[in-house]
Order: sequence, then C-alpha cells, then structure tokens
Amino acid sequence: MKTHPNFTDADAFYEQLLDAHANLDREASELLNARLILLLANQIGDGKVLAECLSAASQLN
Amino acid sequence: MAIVSSTTEPAFADAAFTNGYEFTQGTGYTLPEYPFVEPPDIRSGEVRRHAVVIVGGGITGLTLACSLAQLGVKAVLLDEDNTVGVKGAASRGICYTQKSLEIFDKLGIYERVARKGIQWSVGRTFAGQDEVYSFDLRQQSNFQLSTQPPFINIQQFYIEGFLVERIAELNRTTPEPVIDMRWRSRVTGFVQHDGFATLTVETPAGSYRLQADHVIDASGSHTPFHAWCGATLKAKKGDDRWCIADVRFSKHPPVERHTWIEAPFNDNRSVWQHLMADDVWRIDYQMAPNSDPAEVSSEARVRERLRRQFGDDLQCEIVWVGPYAYRSQCTERLRIGSVYFMGDTAKIVNPFGARGGNTGVSDADNLAWKLAAVIRGTAAPALLDSYHDERHEAATQNVLVTNRTARFLRPADGVERVFRQAAIGLARQHLFARSLINTGRMAVANTYTHSRICGPTGGQSVQNVAFAWGNGAGTGTVNDLLKWAQSRLLVLVFGYLSPSSVERLRQLAETAPVRCVQVLGPDEPAQAKEHVRDPKGHLQGACHVFGHAWALLRHDGYLAATGEVVDGDLVQAIEKSLGL
Repeated sequence: MKTHPNFTDADAFYEQLLDAHANLDREASELLNARLILLLANQIGDGKVLAECLSAASQLN
Repeated sequence: MAIVSSTTEPAFADAAFTNGYEFTQGTGYTLPEYPFVEPPDIRSGEVRRHAVVIVGGGITGLTLACSLAQLGVKAVLLDEDNTVGVKGAASRGICYTQKSLEIFDKLGIYERVARKGIQWSVGRTFAGQDEVYSFDLRQQSNFQLSTQPPFINIQQFYIEGFLVERIAELNRTTPEPVIDMRWRSRVTGFVQHDGFATLTVETPAGSYRLQADHVIDASGSHTPFHAWCGATLKAKKGDDRWCIADVRFSKHPPVERHTWIEAPFNDNRSVWQHLMADDVWRIDYQMAPNSDPAEVSSEARVRERLRRQFGDDLQCEIVWVGPYAYRSQCTERLRIGSVYFMGDTAKIVNPFGARGGNTGVSDADNLAWKLAAVIRGTAAPALLDSYHDERHEAATQNVLVTNRTARFLRPADGVERVFRQAAIGLARQHLFARSLINTGRMAVANTYTHSRICGPTGGQSVQNVAFAWGNGAGTGTVNDLLKWAQSRLLVLVFGYLSPSSVERLRQLAETAPVRCVQVLGPDEPAQAKEHVRDPKGHLQGACHVFGHAWALLRHDGYLAATGEVVDGDLVQAIEKSLGL
C-alpha cells in the first residue's frame, strides 16, 4: 500500500467526491460509496495491497 | 442359549421421512425395495470380525462399496433403510461434476448416468430481467480434455440405484459376494478397542454385534459417530430458507443452469433452475429468512410460484416438494481411531456450486485404493492418514467457497445488502463487476497442497483423457489404465526410453506395486511392450508435464508426483505415495 501522497490533484478529487454525494439521501450515499469502493478496489487489484488498505481503514480511532 | 422375550424387544423403527409434507412420496416414481436378509450373526451370537464396515448406503457409502468391490476388497455395508432416496423420490444432489462422472466411469455406471441424465455447460445469472453473469464450462481448460462432460444433472436416487445394481453385478462375478449389503440395519452402539471397533446393529430380526478394523462413517448429517468418537466440528448455520420444487411442465426453457439473484417472480429473492432426468425440472426458491417449512411448501404456494414464473398457461405436474435450511460444518479430524468420516459426516456445505454429493464421491474414491493397498500389505498403514490430509484440505476449501456464496445470497441486513446491491448494479454496467456476482462457484476436483504422500508437483487430478492403444486396437482412457493397475500405482513415462531406463522400469514393476506404460507421439518408436500413443498431447497435458518426463498416478486419478528422469526420484516418489 502506498503511504506517500499520490493524488495528481488532491483538492480537486476531494471536491468531486463530496459533490458526487450532493442531493443524495443517506441510503443513496451509502450505495454510491459501496459502488465506488468496488470500482476502486478493482483498479488496485492486488490482494495484498487491498488487505493493507482494509486494515488501515479499520483502525477507526 | 438366551431366552428372548418378544414382549420386551422393541420393534425395528423404519427410517422415517424427515419431513411429513404433502409431496414426499414422489409422484411418478416407485423406488426400489431391497430385501432384508437376516444375518446368521443374530442366531449364532458370534461376533465376527471384518476388515471394512461401511455405515450408510447413500451416495458416498455406495461409491466406496462399489470401488472396493472393483478392487476386490470385501466389506459389509449397513444401511438403516431398504431403498435409495432418503425422503422419497427427492432429487437432492443433482449436479454431478466431471470428476464424479470420471469416477462413475471407472466404476462402470457412467453409461447409464449419461443415458438418463442431462448434460450442460452453460450457466447464466440474472438480476431482475438482466443477465449479469454467465459461463460456459467447455471454454475452461481444466474441463476440456476429459472424455466426460463438465456436468450431468440427474436425480440423486438414480446414481444410488445404479451403484446398488453395479455392486450386485460385481458380487455375481466372484464365488462369494465381495460386498455384503445389509439393509434395514441400524448401528446403535460403538466401542473403540486397540486397532478395531465393535458395532451394535439393530435389525427387524433383532440385534447383533460385529467388529471392524476400519469403520467408514458415511451415515450422513445425523451421524451418531461424531458423539461416539468425540469429534470436534466447526459449524455455521444461518436463517436462509429455500423450497425445492421438482416439476414436469409444458414449457421448454434452454438446457442451461439459470440462477436469479433477485427474481421478480419470487419477491426479489433467489431462484435456481435446472433440468434433470425424465423431463423433470428442479427449481429452488429462496424464501424469507426463518420461513415456516410447512407453509412455504403447501401445494397452493408452490403452484402460485410456478404460475408467476412461467405464466398462467402453465400446465405442470408436481413431482416432489421439499423446504430446506442448510448449514456448513467441517469435522476437524477425518480419522479418529478406527473410524473414517466421509461425505456429510466429514463436512456439510451450503448447497451452492455442487460441492456436497460430489465431494462425498471423491472422499470415497480417495480412501478406496488406500484401504485396498493397506489390507493387501502393499502399502504402510500410515497411508490411511493421508486421507485426512487430502480430504480435510478439500473439505476446508469447499466450506470456505460455499460460505462466501451463502453470504452473497443471504447477506446480513445492513451494509452487506448495500454491497450486494452495489455489485449487482455495477455488473449490469461493467464487465469487471461480474466476477463479484456469486451464485455459486461450480465444484472442481480439489488440489492437495500439503499431503504427506504427494510430491511438490503432485496433488492434482488428471482428467480422464483418451489415447490410442499401442497395438492399434482403438482408443482407451486413463480410467482403463487405472482399472488395469487396480490398487497399484501407475507410472506413465513420456517419450524415448533408454535401455537402462527400460531395465529400471522392468525391475520396478517386479518389485514394487506399480504398473508402467510408455506414452508416445504418433510416430515415435516404442521401447516398452506396454505403450500407448498420445497424438494430440492431451494425456501429457492432463498430467501437467512436458517433454521427457514421468508421471506417477494413484488409482483415484491424482498425480502423486512427476519427474524428468527414471531414477531414484521415481523410487522415492513411489515409496512416499504408499506411506512408506
């Protein structure tokens, strides 16, 4: 898993992500997030990297 | 002489249908009834010792009995019932994998299965009206070389009936029957001694005891042996409920496996659809969680479901209905003392992907040659422990895969449903997401990766490919060679053999329990009298070797090991695969 900054434009992506949820209710937002996770996970592909990302994400505190 | 009081002997309880719903009798089918023969043990009181006693005459126990019969190993088979089919003419396990079909071919029932059953290789999965996943097994390389097709659908009682008849046929070829089939015989007690066990058997004519060196528990999911042996299990049960309908009707859907994740005609729940023998369709409907079995299997409900699926003009005959729940379970040790667990007693899987009955058949095929070799003294008793190594790995793998499917089909409420919804939506739009749609991963012959008797390049099943006999007498198959070798190992040597190699193989065949065959291309000269021709290289491909090489096969069609040169490595591989 990469830990160095890898975005070509972090602020632009952040805005796009938030805008994608505009006008969506809670349920629709959840579905959008789930779809996005699956799409991005397929982009990464590598099982080991995905597992590391899941582990990092799971550290909620 | 003991005085038997007829007033205190309880009557033998016939095997009961385990559900009492409307259609358990099975319209249009009359199941066979096998005779109860009072064994002499009851009156004589003698406690006789047998090398092998198989408890349970279902698909697994019968496969083992038939395999042993063909290998010439005597066994007693005890079944509490006197017919095939546990719950009347229920279809139960219907999809038979290529590996199982290859095993049936080796046992001599494949022709009957192929005539009666339905071949298929295409599967489609639908969500709503959209197809979101499909496969054609003929396109997959691990199915292409065998002389058996990827799948045949047939009702489980046909397989069982064919096996019973084949065993009877084999019994007639020897002066004394090799398999002693004892119907209406229920095992009610078990004692483990040092190296053998005593079983108490209850029959309509009274009880008796017998002893066995090897007790094979193929008695199914309600086995008493787990408790008797102190077996530990890992189990998982959910609230998913289904209802099977076996029906004959006036429509003709394509002969493909169709699955709906969300079927509009079934309250957006899942539906499975398969054709079986006798024009009977097998349709599994997913019900609401924790559904009441009697309610969902009423005739009115079943007809309503069928009408919604196939239209108002449907004419249909309901053959059998059965509601079910399922669980998954893996026995942690497949051998405890004298007892070997196989079929559902070894593991229970969720019914998605045909990994239930088929793994029972493979469990039996795995142990049969090992029992034969140990009983004959051509292998060390340690060979029998490889059964656990190999079939426990297979069981664990199959439980894992089917649990994942069950989780997709009955996701936990909340976020698991959201992810499923996301996967289905994406699958409609993008190719990549189709790989997430999990309505069952069809069973394949499991590979053994940490068996004590397989080398690093061993542990894979060899497809039952065809080749040409060296003497020009037509085509043969791998099964023909395995049957010729019986419980001995089979050495296939590919390509040219030097004189010293020929001599080494000749000596090996004299001193070790092996049979050797040279495999050649269409025009290569043969150095060995026993040789076959592999013009398309299919046999070589199926053995996963290239160029000059040897492959060591076991009677269950699995590679024990491969190598390049006929030298000490081959000798060591042979010893290893016999537990020596």
